[in-house]
Amino acid sequence: MSVELKDFKSDQEIAWCPGCGNFGILKAVKAALVELDLPPDKVLICSGIGQAPKLPHYMRVNTFNGLHGREVAAATGAKLAADDLTVLVHSGEGGAYGEGGNHLLAAMRRNIDITLLVHDNKTYGLTKGQASPTTEARRTASLQPKGIFSEPINPLALAISQSCSFVAQSMSSRHEHLVRTIKAGILHEGFSLINILQPCVSWDKLHTYKYYQENCYELGEDYNPQDPLHALELVLGSTRRIPLGIIYENQRPSYDKLVLEGVFHPLRDRGVDPERVGKIFEKYF
Amino acid sequence: MEIGIRIAGAAGQGLQTTADMLGQILVQNGLFVSTYVDAESRIRGGLNFSHLRISDQALEGVSERFDILMALTTGAVKRFSEKLDSPGVLLCFSSSCDSRAAPVDLDNLAKQAGNLKASGVVGLGAICSLLEIPQDRVHEILQKHFTQNAKLLEINLRAADLGIAAVQDWKNKPEFPGANIHSPANERVLMSGHQAISLGAIAGGVSFVAGYPMSPATSILADLAAWSKEADIVIEQAEDEIAAINMLAGASYAGARSMTSTSGGGFCLMTEGVSLLGMIETPAVIVVAQRPGPATGLPTRTAQGDLNLVLHAGHGFFPRLIFAPARIEDGFETTAKAFDLAERFQVPVFILTDQLLQDCQPSLSAFDTSLLPSSRHLMRASELRERASYMRFEQTSDGISPQAAPGASQHVVVVDSDEHDEQGHLTESPIIAQAMSQKRIRKAKTIKNFSWFLNPYLDGFEKDNPLVISWGSTYSTISEIREDFASQNRAFSHLHLRQMWPLDESYLESILRTPRQITIIENNTDGQLASLFKTVGLRPADNVITRHDGRPFTVQDLTVKIKEVLS
Repeated sequence: MSVELKDFKSDQEIAWCPGCGNFGILKAVKAALVELDLPPDKVLICSGIGQAPKLPHYMRVNTFNGLHGREVAAATGAKLAADDLTVLVHSGEGGAYGEGGNHLLAAMRRNIDITLLVHDNKTYGLTKGQASPTTEARRTASLQPKGIFSEPINPLALAISQSCSFVAQSMSSRHEHLVRTIKAGILHEGFSLINILQPCVSWDKLHTYKYYQENCYELGEDYNPQDPLHALELVLGSTRRIPLGIIYENQRPSYDKLVLEGVFHPLRDRGVDPERVGKIFEKYF
Repeated sequence: MEIGIRIAGAAGQGLQTTADMLGQILVQNGLFVSTYVDAESRIRGGLNFSHLRISDQALEGVSERFDILMALTTGAVKRFSEKLDSPGVLLCFSSSCDSRAAPVDLDNLAKQAGNLKASGVVGLGAICSLLEIPQDRVHEILQKHFTQNAKLLEINLRAADLGIAAVQDWKNKPEFPGANIHSPANERVLMSGHQAISLGAIAGGVSFVAGYPMSPATSILADLAAWSKEADIVIEQAEDEIAAINMLAGASYAGARSMTSTSGGGFCLMTEGVSLLGMIETPAVIVVAQRPGPATGLPTRTAQGDLNLVLHAGHGFFPRLIFAPARIEDGFETTAKAFDLAERFQVPVFILTDQLLQDCQPSLSAFDTSLLPSSRHLMRASELRERASYMRFEQTSDGISPQAAPGASQHVVVVDSDEHDEQGHLTESPIIAQAMSQKRIRKAKTIKNFSWFLNPYLDGFEKDNPLVISWGSTYSTISEIREDFASQNRAFSHLHLRQMWPLDESYLESILRTPRQITIIENNTDGQLASLFKTVGLRPADNVITRHDGRPFTVQDLTVKIKEVLS
């Protein structure tokens, strides 16, 4: 029996603002899972705090909605304990690039097989419009009335420079592109970072749907994502044009495969055997 | 019969290795040995020592006195030669460094053997010769220790033999009768607190460990890594402590028995994660190996200063269990049980150890594992498959909702750090919020109703006698003093807690009612157990004896302090 959209149906009332980009992302995630024939009980979505991380509540799926910025760490533990699950992480850019920066760096190094979907709206939405790690410098924000003096982070360049094994960018309103990108991220063995651009309809009057429509372009069939220097050029280039698609990709074994080799797994199904101590006692004492 | 040996010198001179090998030789020879370590936070230089206490019966308290001093630096001679018991033996790096020095030139003999670094092993040979330990026992341990490197083995065998010969040539050497038991190899081994806790974790079914290195907690991570193949566990060096605790939360939610080991500062970073565990009712075993604070404090020293921290860590109310092993054997049993209790009640369980307990090594026999719990408390897949629905936080009379792991069945498992409904979805409803809060209170009551999971030790109780109360690593030292006082008609009773939370107040009230005087002894600044007794309304202590210089109480200093307060 193949997976259908209705399998993911949730009865929870959605707390997002009308017109929020999160709706498009929710729709795309469900569509990607249906197309990959992944049922709700074989998928785990980990998330933290903010508006984006509420996403798993709005579909029927295994859900670990933990602490702000710690979603990648929690997902790492969960993937190692239950490697038979497809693990996605939904975070805002505040959680992924700000509060959770160290966990992102570590996850890219490990190349653990999880897919991180960053809802990047360049704003702290739920806390009412403060600057985020991707907000442009020199604008003002509620906590920076004189202007934001820090430069924004460039998550794509950062990820490419760290040999993150899958780096992609998409847009919340480009349904087909987003579904295609999420599917590719899930199918990729290793850590996949998908930066998803979305307008904040409540707090950001600059990065509107119209703005993204005018400035984004989709990478063509001829683009080769295997070349890190070319990929860096693309995301560091001086043009204001914003690339969408798989920007960089490399193939290496996933962390969970390496770590779990020779270990009884999933760890979830392990019993308790106090007698095991005897073996260690004999060998090491 | 009791012989004290102190091996002192600089970090990097192999003091601990020498002490470990000497301890193993003496245990093999049928003696009881206990050791402790005093080390600075550095890799080379400074002044460190390892102390061995040898007897024909178990003596596990911390003692300052020693009959033999091996001093490998001038600093060690200056600091400790005055404290050597008389008639003692001073083994120096050079026999001319002190008028009392034995005619054994450790450094010269080491050079003669082929490497100056073997001076400790020359001393090891010399000590074994003084104690009339057979040479082949010495060789046996060296062979075991240097099995990977034939050249080093050769040098060290030569070094030990030179030490043995130098003592044999020494005309007026003092005698140590009673050490040469020459019993056949016995079953006892030297085991440290961290090894016992690590073995306990394995017995408790740990399958996932995440942590970040910090003294004195790292040794547990190192043991589990070294044994990971036999134990069949995954061990993860996390990018920081915050990651470690959140990995635990994720792994434990996904059904793995999970633990971490950290110390004060690292644990402070974990506290939001502890609160998360409380909210999502997810089990975890958290070892907090105490050292003095605040902040970085004394990194390689000991303290019992984190009771308040683990008692209150994490915002909001949620149930927890806190244990403090008193002895090495307790470390094993407590940790094994901690995994069972954590999963049964879906709570964080803390194990408070400290630098003293982590690094001290008494000789003991193999553990009995036959009575340890050996089943999981997660819902079985077969049971789940037959259910029409599943709610992770289902309201129950005892506050414990059956835990299912994601992926085990067709049901999805939802948890949320926000207040949530029975399904696990976040809620703003005051009715549901109140009901969930009450569920956590009910669970705390369920746990408390069990009384003790680990009984306190109550030694020599007489209802009128003064009562001494202590917890954690101080047990053996105070026990020894109690026996000594009892033999001198100054008897006191000793109550020693191993379970720090929850407390069985009615049990404690019944014990605390009658003694004519109550003294609480703690290796911390502020008397945290004494404060806890006051908070929960127990009879307050008349005296609180504290020590907060980073060193453990010793039999000698605590004897003086107890005498001062005892009436």
